[in-house]
Amino acid sequence: MSRTIHSRSEERLAYWLMVLPAVFLYLLVLGFPIVISIILSVSNYNGGKMFGGQPWKIVGFQQYARLVHDVWFWAALKNNVYIVLVSVFGQLPLGFIFAYLIYRRIVKFGDFWQAVLYMPNIISVIVIGIMWAIIFSPNGLIAEIMNRIYSNAISHKIIQIFNTAGGFNITDDLVAKLIHASGPVASQTFTDPPMELKQFLLTYSPAQLETLKGDLVNLLGTKWTPTFLSKPDVAMLPVLFVILWCWTGLYLILFLANMQKIDVQIIEAARIDGASEGQVMGRVVLPSLSGVLVNAAILCIAGSLNSFALIFAMTRGGPARVTEVLSIYMYDSAFFGTPNYPLANAIALSIVILSMVLIVITKLVEKRFGGRE
Amino acid sequence: MGEPLRNQPAKRLVGIIGKAVSYFVMTTFALMTTLPLVWLIINSFKSTTEFRLNRVGFPHLWTTINYPGAWSLGEFDRLIGNSVIYTAGATLGIIVFSILAGFAFAKIKSKATPILYGSFVLGILLSIQSLMVPLFIEVSQLDRLLTDLFKVLGILKSGQVNFFYDSRFGVLLIYIGSGLPTAIYLSTEYVKGIPYALVEAARIDGASYFKIFRWIILPMSVPIATTVAILNITGIWNEFALINILVSKTSLKSLPLGIFKFTSNLTADWGKQFAALVIGMLPMLLFYIGFRKQITRGVAAGAVKG
Repeated sequence: MSRTIHSRSEERLAYWLMVLPAVFLYLLVLGFPIVISIILSVSNYNGGKMFGGQPWKIVGFQQYARLVHDVWFWAALKNNVYIVLVSVFGQLPLGFIFAYLIYRRIVKFGDFWQAVLYMPNIISVIVIGIMWAIIFSPNGLIAEIMNRIYSNAISHKIIQIFNTAGGFNITDDLVAKLIHASGPVASQTFTDPPMELKQFLLTYSPAQLETLKGDLVNLLGTKWTPTFLSKPDVAMLPVLFVILWCWTGLYLILFLANMQKIDVQIIEAARIDGASEGQVMGRVVLPSLSGVLVNAAILCIAGSLNSFALIFAMTRGGPARVTEVLSIYMYDSAFFGTPNYPLANAIALSIVILSMVLIVITKLVEKRFGGRE
Repeated sequence: MGEPLRNQPAKRLVGIIGKAVSYFVMTTFALMTTLPLVWLIINSFKSTTEFRLNRVGFPHLWTTINYPGAWSLGEFDRLIGNSVIYTAGATLGIIVFSILAGFAFAKIKSKATPILYGSFVLGILLSIQSLMVPLFIEVSQLDRLLTDLFKVLGILKSGQVNFFYDSRFGVLLIYIGSGLPTAIYLSTEYVKGIPYALVEAARIDGASYFKIFRWIILPMSVPIATTVAILNITGIWNEFALINILVSKTSLKSLPLGIFKFTSNLTADWGKQFAALVIGMLPMLLFYIGFRKQITRGVAAGAVKG
């Protein structure tokens, strides 16, 4: 009798000793912050000591009322929605198709594709964000390639014009042809293109023909400046592209691993019965992965709503806040300029509630349409 | 019997076209993935002057001059050292605490288990990133409370204690805490699979729960510990959002945080910037090359939400 009592209390003690460190840490990172954000979002606390410092008090739901009418909040939310859409309708289908191609051995070297496409996932999003920001910048890869294509085209034309004219033979006809070849650039560079261009050409001597051709390419070639990350109406596109670029491989891995659990005989039987690859994918593989797809969608949504570091490194929400997402708005409210902690906490709670709502919706959709596992 | 035969050539043609399209799409995506990274690496071997003139191709003059410059300017030895401490410490902590809790949840009966375990599983859905502002307020207020306490007790005469904010200890606590929900879910489900008879037999022999944990559960949990480690190593190493608000001292910065500050302070020196970015991605790239199979398996096993 005494032994069982002793062992019960020992059992209870052991249980709590094993569980408490985890519970304490969990409260530290999740429990208390949620409580803090609930309290502060309805308070007027704005920095300093929370206990025994400047007095602060609960003032009500002003911040939430403000958010409802806050254009920046809705703009940021819209960007988050774009990210959710690109993730759910871009990353997931692409990842699924890639996984299927590898799984059915429609493409060989499955291991290789898998290794390459997953690679962006293990690199710091800070490095990735900065890298893409450089690539999309005027100093970047894309601008350089476009400019080379443009200058190749015009240098071709210029060489041809001089060849037909028979070398350094400046006539009005040649000048007119050059102006025509340059498109709008000549009239942008000169006020009176035929006159000024002719004068310019005559400053060269016949021996300098090759130099002249090179200079003309620079002068008359269309300069292609990337406006991706600096033009408000399209700045979100590169961000969405990089998000698609970055995480498609994750879903490829996830789907492939689960496809490999499907009984091969079912698929072979379907193929022998005359089902096409498309039918096998749609009627055999897809239904047996429905649970995994829902999990992946939840993973996607939770990740999309919290996307911070990649955009922070790539655009920092700019230009003119057009690529701002909720988490960057929250960050800036708290750490940039005069801190507005109540607002930042209201945004934090909005993100938490929003992800919960979306996840519940996903689960409901699964209950309604899925469940054929 | 005649029908399928007549369709054979057409079917084969569709198959070949399908294959060609598949290869094309795969190759395009793979090139899109690798070329930017290759471009980055190649550019790190050009001097800044050469990059200005030659932005796309291979360098005419390969140079490693950017690396020592970036390394000393960015204090990368310190950044990498910090990242190793954070990653190793937090991963170890996550493993130990999650298997401990997982053992208790799976093998010791308690009325508290449904609530506690349930709230951990719920936590998988929440991203701690979205709570960075309250988290920042929490850690800084905790330090202020401790400072006041120490002053009242007479331990501290002046100044401020940095126990949670701007401290390695604080970063580790937060990282361990944020890794726990998923890890506890995986560990609990894993330990549930270990036969209860093993625990019972040891109990009858008079072993304490901690002895059972140390000598039975822990050795048997190596596979799940590996999964948890794989899942967390890349995540913690690359983590940015939290450490960005937890640490302001240069001496405590991790690699991603250091890279971010480095490149935003140095926009015109392209060579060094590219070198810094390559240094930033190299450790995890090597880790990936070394443990690709395990990483892939771990990710597939650990992607549990809800």
